[in-house]
Amino acid sequence: MGEQMEERKRERIKVYAPDGAVGSPAAAPAPSVPVLAGKRIGILDNAKPNAGALLERLAQRLASRTGAVLGLVETKNAAVAAPDEVIARLQSEVDLVLAGSAD
Amino acid sequence: MTGDAPLLLDLAEDDPDALMQLYDEHGWGDGLPMVPPTPERVETMLAAADPDETIAVLPPRSGIATRRVIAINAVLAGCEPAQLPVVVAAVRALASPELNLRGVNATTHCVAPLLIVHGDIAESAGYNSGLGAFGPGNRANASTGRAVRLILMHVGGARPGPGDASTQGGPAKYSYCVAENTAQSPWGGYAASVGVESASAVTLHCGEAPHNVHDMESSDPVPILDKVASSMATLGQNNAPISSGEYFVALCPEHAAVCASAGWTRRHVSSYLFNRATLPVAELRRAFGLRAWAPWQQALADDDRVSMTEHPENIKVFVVGGAGRHSSVIPSWGMTKSVTVAVGV
Repeated sequence: MGEQMEERKRERIKVYAPDGAVGSPAAAPAPSVPVLAGKRIGILDNAKPNAGALLERLAQRLASRTGAVLGLVETKNAAVAAPDEVIARLQSEVDLVLAGSAD
Repeated sequence: MTGDAPLLLDLAEDDPDALMQLYDEHGWGDGLPMVPPTPERVETMLAAADPDETIAVLPPRSGIATRRVIAINAVLAGCEPAQLPVVVAAVRALASPELNLRGVNATTHCVAPLLIVHGDIAESAGYNSGLGAFGPGNRANASTGRAVRLILMHVGGARPGPGDASTQGGPAKYSYCVAENTAQSPWGGYAASVGVESASAVTLHCGEAPHNVHDMESSDPVPILDKVASSMATLGQNNAPISSGEYFVALCPEHAAVCASAGWTRRHVSSYLFNRATLPVAELRRAFGLRAWAPWQQALADDDRVSMTEHPENIKVFVVGGAGRHSSVIPSWGMTKSVTVAVGV
């Protein structure tokens, strides 16, 4: 009996992978802006430490190198998605948005 | 929406060590031995349920959690079929927008979803609501919590590093599941108190590991709840700078009985703690930028005191545990709300 159990244990078997399929992303990234000259740069500050300073400096350097201009600055909480009205304001006021800063 | 059938892999032998070696090559597993999820074991776990039904899509990986995928992870974790309905309901709850699973999975904080099992299934499926309920020693509690963690890692992609940035991780991220001690709750079941009138239910609260509250001598609610309030009012937890955060106060039966015998309801306990769990505004201003405070809290003067959360309803009270006089406080991660859902069969 014990030998049979050992034998069965040693047989090659099939097991499932545990991760399942990946769903489609809810939204695809927007295409890049091909030329920045004259475009308006927005900032979405996620309120992580120094995110505002980092993104603003980045926007200034980008603007000085490309001829873009600094536009709207919005702030959101890092842990949740930006409210619809913030996204709508950025959409109407600027052509590209700098966003995202970690701890 | 249905997910593709999970892949079947060759395993050298029906043995936990062999499985760990195979899974390790794919970056799967939680570091502990697992039960090999053979098709036979997974079919037994599923019983007659539709295996291809999508229960939820879990971020950040956007993994599709079908019943079969959930059952695979339940087998891995050591669940019995009786516990699968709780795991399925918990996965459904994880996808609730207010729970904010993307943030919960990805944050640097040590947050883990606590499962609180309510009602008939707590008894019928063998959950422990009494002595030592937070563990160890009970298969249903341990394996259900572990199954949810494995689903978060495998399906949701919450692996330390790419999908889980928790600075130190935490023991609650292995398994975090208790049953409510409804039999010794003087206020009835928690689920009904939040409007879920189902024979069985599960609550998910994304929080820290329990912070102990010890009171051996009091026969009056005030000294007991003052100690609870003291555990709530500390600067190091996320609730300090985030005013919308919830607290779960897990009262032991003896502490709950003291409160109830003095005529205090569940709501009275929450209201008292709301007023007692406070810190000086100046102290909080020294410690934080206060950016996640409600506007009315930001308007307070430095010499005012402010509650650790903006509303008494954010302080949730339930009963768990056995003999003895230790309760606990489970602060929230902050940007998440607890969810209670019915458990189907």
